[in-house]
Amino acid sequence: MNGWIGRCLRINLTQGKHHIEEIDPKLLEKFLGGRGLGVKAFVDEVAPQVDPFSPENKLVFTSGPLVGTGAITGASCNVITKSALTGGLVCAKMRGHFGAELKFAGFDMLIIEGKAEIPVIISILDDKVKLIPALEYWGRTTVETEELFKKNLGDPWSARETYVASIGPAGERLLPLANLVNDRFLPVGGAGIGAVMGSKNLKAIAVRGRHSLQVADGNRFMQVVTTLINKLNSAPLTQSMSQTGTAFLVGLCYQKGILPQNNFRRAPLPLRNIGTEALNSGFALRSRGCFACPIACIKKADVKHPAYEGKGMAPTYLAIGSLGVNCGITDLATIGMASMMCGEMGLDPVAAGGALATIMELVEKKVITPEELKIDLRFGNGEAMVEALRLMATKKGYARRLGQGGQALAEEFGRPEIFMGVKNLPLAPFDPRAIQGMGLHFATCNYGPHHLYAYTFIDELLNVHENLEPTELEGKPLLVKRYQDTTAVMDSLGLCNWPLMGLKFNNYVPMVNSCLGTSYKADDLLFIGERIWNLEKGFNMRAGFDASHDTLPDRFTKEPIPDGPAEGQISRIEEMIPEYYHLRGWNEQGEPLPETLRAFDLEVG
Amino acid sequence: MPRIKIDHTKCTGCRHCETACSLNHVANTVNPRRSRVRVMRDGNRYYPVIAGPFVDAACTSKHYIVIGEQTYDMCAFCRASCPEKPYFIEAETGIPLKCDFCGIPPSPSCVRWCNSGALELVED
Ligand code: SF4
Ligand code: SF4
Ligand code: SF4
Repeated sequence: MNGWIGRCLRINLTQGKHHIEEIDPKLLEKFLGGRGLGVKAFVDEVAPQVDPFSPENKLVFTSGPLVGTGAITGASCNVITKSALTGGLVCAKMRGHFGAELKFAGFDMLIIEGKAEIPVIISILDDKVKLIPALEYWGRTTVETEELFKKNLGDPWSARETYVASIGPAGERLLPLANLVNDRFLPVGGAGIGAVMGSKNLKAIAVRGRHSLQVADGNRFMQVVTTLINKLNSAPLTQSMSQTGTAFLVGLCYQKGILPQNNFRRAPLPLRNIGTEALNSGFALRSRGCFACPIACIKKADVKHPAYEGKGMAPTYLAIGSLGVNCGITDLATIGMASMMCGEMGLDPVAAGGALATIMELVEKKVITPEELKIDLRFGNGEAMVEALRLMATKKGYARRLGQGGQALAEEFGRPEIFMGVKNLPLAPFDPRAIQGMGLHFATCNYGPHHLYAYTFIDELLNVHENLEPTELEGKPLLVKRYQDTTAVMDSLGLCNWPLMGLKFNNYVPMVNSCLGTSYKADDLLFIGERIWNLEKGFNMRAGFDASHDTLPDRFTKEPIPDGPAEGQISRIEEMIPEYYHLRGWNEQGEPLPETLRAFDLEVG
Repeated sequence: MPRIKIDHTKCTGCRHCETACSLNHVANTVNPRRSRVRVMRDGNRYYPVIAGPFVDAACTSKHYIVIGEQTYDMCAFCRASCPEKPYFIEAETGIPLKCDFCGIPPSPSCVRWCNSGALELVED
């Protein structure tokens, strides 16, 4: 097969056994691979009511057909399970090199089921699969785990080619905020996965492979990829990404009043401390790229910065927003420390940042005192925040309870309205009052309010393909639907979505076809994306989500932004949701109509 | 004579060069382990290495290289397709791999896909 391999590795931790299965080519045609294939397998095998921590819950890792082929940004490995945080599906996008290595090992998909008796590490070397007892790794940070595993391999050459995804203390302690970590990166949107891994006693997965991948028309494929690289180079925004990573968004969001401060209450503090200039003057940046990525948006700050000792990552937009400004912190070094701590402990930065902002507001409103917390968590206290992240993952008492997430905390204190999230997941750092389309996406997204499941800001804020105003409603429901479907199909192919800032989705089609030997048109692919969206929606509905979950906290729909460039704005999702449901072919309760499901060849009912 | 200049300070570790080289040498096939350029990693740094022939003399004494404060085993940067390491040897056939300066002019494949400037074609 071209691009695809057609094999799935299934590992049962309870029995300590594994076997290799062929994947039905019809499924690949219908769901492509990656996110689509993984969700399909999960939905077919796991009951929607299952407890995320039960051995019946499964973990699915899938690398799309373009991963590892050299297709630009073909690096994404999706991780699918029932989330310990939201109780719905979670589909993280793990980039870096793990996904490509899984393909080279000869698998499109890895399904992990059951629960090991003692902590284990799964080691995959081509067809050789082993479960290694992991008692000596338990309790270690993700960075230590990777280092120790590579050291234990005993051969520096194979260590260089081995990629490890592991959980930290947060996942071991089953904190719903836990994510998994690969090479210091936390997968996008993976809150709740770390705890599921922890509940299975699975500390890490290591993979190395030596197989070849086939592409259909190598010559044409090489030409198309070269053209796309050149196209990206002439796009100004991807150039900004190459220079400072996603942090370049900070200034733009600040200027439009989108960057939230102090748990989404005010327009942010002065920009000079957190913008790209501060980043460039404070850190010597070195770029890192995921597999086959010409953009390389990941920034290492491997200078002798006192806070980093030569190994930290420079803060990204997400870190600056969620762990920084929204907690009242505008010191880049502290924000960098906080995100480093998240990486080592295996905590998801968006989910952990949201929990901290919630507790900080509870403190400000005197619902709880710093004395009770035993830590001085106030807006703007960076030191306490970094310490809280560490304590959250390693200690008991209140610090541990922080790790249950913002929603649980706010409810514990009888103030659920203080939690700024949807479906238990805190909002990514975009104030939905100042960017309406993103607000609609936050309310309706199958995976909770994360901006990287619909890149509407590319048109709403950056005006790359379309010239839209962030605060207007015109055309937004269609924009949201289009980006949700586009993201679903790109995740399924295994591509990172950031190049959409310089490329149209149409530009990808020749790359897909020359690689896979198919003759898709852009619309065929988007149709598959929409099918996947409906499939995910169906599972979440059966897991207990309904139209009442497609909403935003009252703060966004009732309290206008008090000051700044977007002063006076509120989110008007109620006006957009009916049109959105209609465009999706759903009824007023947001349930897919039978004819919609039939059109996508999905099971009705 | 054109040469490839390697600037490891720019390398992002993306390994696009590896896929390019392998696609260009084995029809319709991608496998970094069949590429004549490999990206070595040591801690935070990446070092692209382009394969060359192995001669005994290159290897009679082991070297260590000090860069900044770190000491590296020279084998990590050595371009020889030597029998001591699993790099630059065709897994299936055991044939040593050597860079043949391939590709459609003006750039060889690896240079064309390296977008960071770590691999560059220079005249001297
Ligand atoms: S754009 Fe960034 S996240 Fe996406 S593949 Fe490239 S380096 Fe990775
Ligand atoms: S010049 Fe050609 S043969 Fe040599 S490393 Fe680059 S792609 Fe491979
Ligand atoms: S393509 Fe360039 S930047 Fe990427 S790994 Fe190769 S040499 Fe480094």
